[in-house]
Amino acid sequence: MDDAHLKKILQQENENAAPENAKKRALNLAMAEFDQHQKEKENNFQGSGFFSRLTGVTNKNNRRKDMKKKTYIFGGTATAMALVLAVGLSMHQAPHTSNGSDVRGHVGGNNFGSIAQNITTSTSKTPFSELLKNLKSDSSEQVQPEMRREIEEYNISQVDQITKSDDSARPAPITPSRSNVAAKEEAKKMASPSGNRMQAQGYAAETDMAVASSPPVMQMIAPIDMPAPHEYKDVGRDKFEDFTENPITLVSEAPVSTFSIDVDTSSYSFMRRQLESGVLPQKDAVRIEEMVNYFDYDYALPENREQPFAATATITPSPWAEGRKLMHIGIKGFDIDQAEKPRSNLVFLLDVSGSMNATDKLPLLKNSMKMLLDSLEPEDTVAIAVYAGASGTVLEPTKVSEKSKIIAALENLSAGGSTAGAAGLKLAYELAEQNFDKDAVNRVILATDGDFNVGITSQDELQDFIERKRDSGVFLSVLGFGQGNLNDQMMQKLAQNGNGTAAYIDSLNEARKVLVEEASSTLFPIAKDVKIQIEFNPKTVAEYRLIGYETRHLNREDFNNDAVDAGDIGTGHTVTAIYEITPVDSNRSVDESRYASKDTSEAAIEDKTDFNNEYAFLKIRYKLPKEDVSKLITTPVTAANEVSSLTQIVCIRAEGCPSSANNDVRFSAAVAGFGQLLKGGKYIGDVNYDEIITLAQESKGVDEFGYRAEFIQLVRLAKSAATMGNPQ
Amino acid sequence: MNKEEETQLIKRAQKGDRAAFEELLRVHYDTIFKFAMKWCGNGSDAEDIAQNACMKLARAIDSFNFKAAFTSWLYRLVVNVAIDWQRSNARHTGEGDAEIKGVTDATAEDDIYARQVMDEIRDLPEKEKMALLLVIGEGLTHKQAADSMDCKESTVSWYIHEARKKLDHKFGQERKRG
Repeated sequence: MDDAHLKKILQQENENAAPENAKKRALNLAMAEFDQHQKEKENNFQGSGFFSRLTGVTNKNNRRKDMKKKTYIFGGTATAMALVLAVGLSMHQAPHTSNGSDVRGHVGGNNFGSIAQNITTSTSKTPFSELLKNLKSDSSEQVQPEMRREIEEYNISQVDQITKSDDSARPAPITPSRSNVAAKEEAKKMASPSGNRMQAQGYAAETDMAVASSPPVMQMIAPIDMPAPHEYKDVGRDKFEDFTENPITLVSEAPVSTFSIDVDTSSYSFMRRQLESGVLPQKDAVRIEEMVNYFDYDYALPENREQPFAATATITPSPWAEGRKLMHIGIKGFDIDQAEKPRSNLVFLLDVSGSMNATDKLPLLKNSMKMLLDSLEPEDTVAIAVYAGASGTVLEPTKVSEKSKIIAALENLSAGGSTAGAAGLKLAYELAEQNFDKDAVNRVILATDGDFNVGITSQDELQDFIERKRDSGVFLSVLGFGQGNLNDQMMQKLAQNGNGTAAYIDSLNEARKVLVEEASSTLFPIAKDVKIQIEFNPKTVAEYRLIGYETRHLNREDFNNDAVDAGDIGTGHTVTAIYEITPVDSNRSVDESRYASKDTSEAAIEDKTDFNNEYAFLKIRYKLPKEDVSKLITTPVTAANEVSSLTQIVCIRAEGCPSSANNDVRFSAAVAGFGQLLKGGKYIGDVNYDEIITLAQESKGVDEFGYRAEFIQLVRLAKSAATMGNPQ
Repeated sequence: MNKEEETQLIKRAQKGDRAAFEELLRVHYDTIFKFAMKWCGNGSDAEDIAQNACMKLARAIDSFNFKAAFTSWLYRLVVNVAIDWQRSNARHTGEGDAEIKGVTDATAEDDIYARQVMDEIRDLPEKEKMALLLVIGEGLTHKQAADSMDCKESTVSWYIHEARKKLDHKFGQERKRG
């Protein structure tokens, strides 16, 4: 390697141009800093005159001369600025009058004026007069909200088409593309043969130029959840907590299994996103319980209000191993009527740091928030706080009836800077407490990619902070966005310790599911610190294995300890837990301990009658949302809960027909099987993707929103990703 | 912008002229960003570094004393910001997440090779990295780089020599070509 080659390599790096919006943002922030600095300087000099602010010249002899020169320059600057203002104003007026009947007339010539100016600034050096105009039009609040939205949505769907050549009049071709890959190829095609220096790479969104040079594309508003092809891709910085699958446990050694429920769904949507881009998800990203709980199941509702949820247990033959059985436990929380819903006092805490600056993050977040607004009642209050390098309140608590005000505040957000998440959280909790209503649901909704890098960054400290705040009665929900830099571990930590749930939003459709369809379960908790403890009967069960919930494990003694935090259930939530058990008379996979004193345990049980048909004893502990003392629900799981087949058996005559599990049990077993396969399939023998597809297809049921059909599609994607020899 | 214009702009900015400062930023932002990009090899980090550098410049501009070229001085500011930023940012990994883009005339193999070289450069000790990026990447003379790094010209040569030695050791001499 010689100098010339090294130089060439370094030169290539120069091709990475900064995205226009990043530049604009940096400039605005720096200007604000500059103003602040000037103000401070002025204060330091105690206002002792205009010229005493001079710095940098220490030679006394020179000073007088310099000051004189300054007067002249300042005078000149002031005149120039006045002139610029005049020119700017007249430029602003002009297109308005001439464009009235044009196609784009309704969106206001105003913006086209400014956009046209942006072009010049991005391609050539510009006198500062132009810059002032830009600044002015940028900050102008006269722009109609719908116009802003249109431009924004358009921006999102755009492939960046910045021509580096100076003939900025070249129309920028638009490639609305279905997928990343297709777009990349298309862009390559465009870039190479024509030989012009169309920059096929680059960043999303800053499309001012394209807008101006080909106005008709304004009508092509693409769906917002389309991934923008050419933007930075952070790769491999997603953080997940390491964990291994629960092992098979001998009942004689540890008859009791304890865990906290988990109604999060983020793992499923993250996995979906990975599979849709053709790769198998990281094993640590797969949390089986979250996949299973992503789906809504039709379990029996609780009979009365005293008890907020009911548990249904089913024992079926295991689809993964001969002789084993699945113990399926379904829990459903009661649904509160629309009319009974408590008021919500919500504080949105939005991450607007630089890392959120991608189409699948901030813009998706804004749209998700708007959808959530639609599902709120007029009396509910919403406040918005943001954090980036610093945190600040964007919107004081405002009634949802003043929706336009809320939307305007949302629209004004833009991403930039580092991430002081901890300061933001503090502020959000302050806002929630300030507007605290003991009859309402007080909740902080944190939307982030989980990337906290300023302030408290240690997860343990944050956890301490959240735990202290939890006692104030404010709940926390975490919505995850984006990929590549997602700090899932941080999100989970926060949600689990802050009485809340974590969901991952990868598309508008997922936003609709989480924030509209499931808004009530997302927003209104009916029970908190829900823990499940199952004691297996050593007379009937030899081994058990809990599928999923690895990250939710609790110690046996934690169950009765009300100080130990656990998961929460919202209205109408369903929670599913599946154990694979080996009955005593089946082949065991773990050898019985030679010295285990079987006699004592059996003798002890023998004394009590009629446990022979009991598999296990289920205990659920929970607290009502506003209480601190837990309540207990218990149910034995007996042979009466057993069905003889997992797959459906159709008989001509009803009598004597073997019983089979219902669709929900079967479907959740299919999801659990898929999760285990993604995690390496250590315990499920030679079950393959096709068997999972068959099982899921048979149990699809009504599937109103197509989630189950989507699942089957994902299994197919995983199958092809796996056959392609993906290293994972 | 010639040197005289730049000097005028800086002087005006030092006296609190907003417009002059903004013009300065606008002219130099790309340099700052690209240098940050070379330094850290990651787009969103580079954006953050460039942004912090601009904000720092708003205050630091007053202390620029025209002894060195403005760009030399600016590079040092960017490097300081980048180092601070990366240190405060625990998750900085730099594991080849930089994509070298816009190379149409090179083969994929060259691309990969270039990326490996860039990764290796990013792993160099800070001083050596800075000297190499300034002299070979930005085309500064050893004198200008020395101004920027606040050291002797001969020290710059030494840093570059050291850096080259490491790169040559890593990549060998076999791919010699112009």
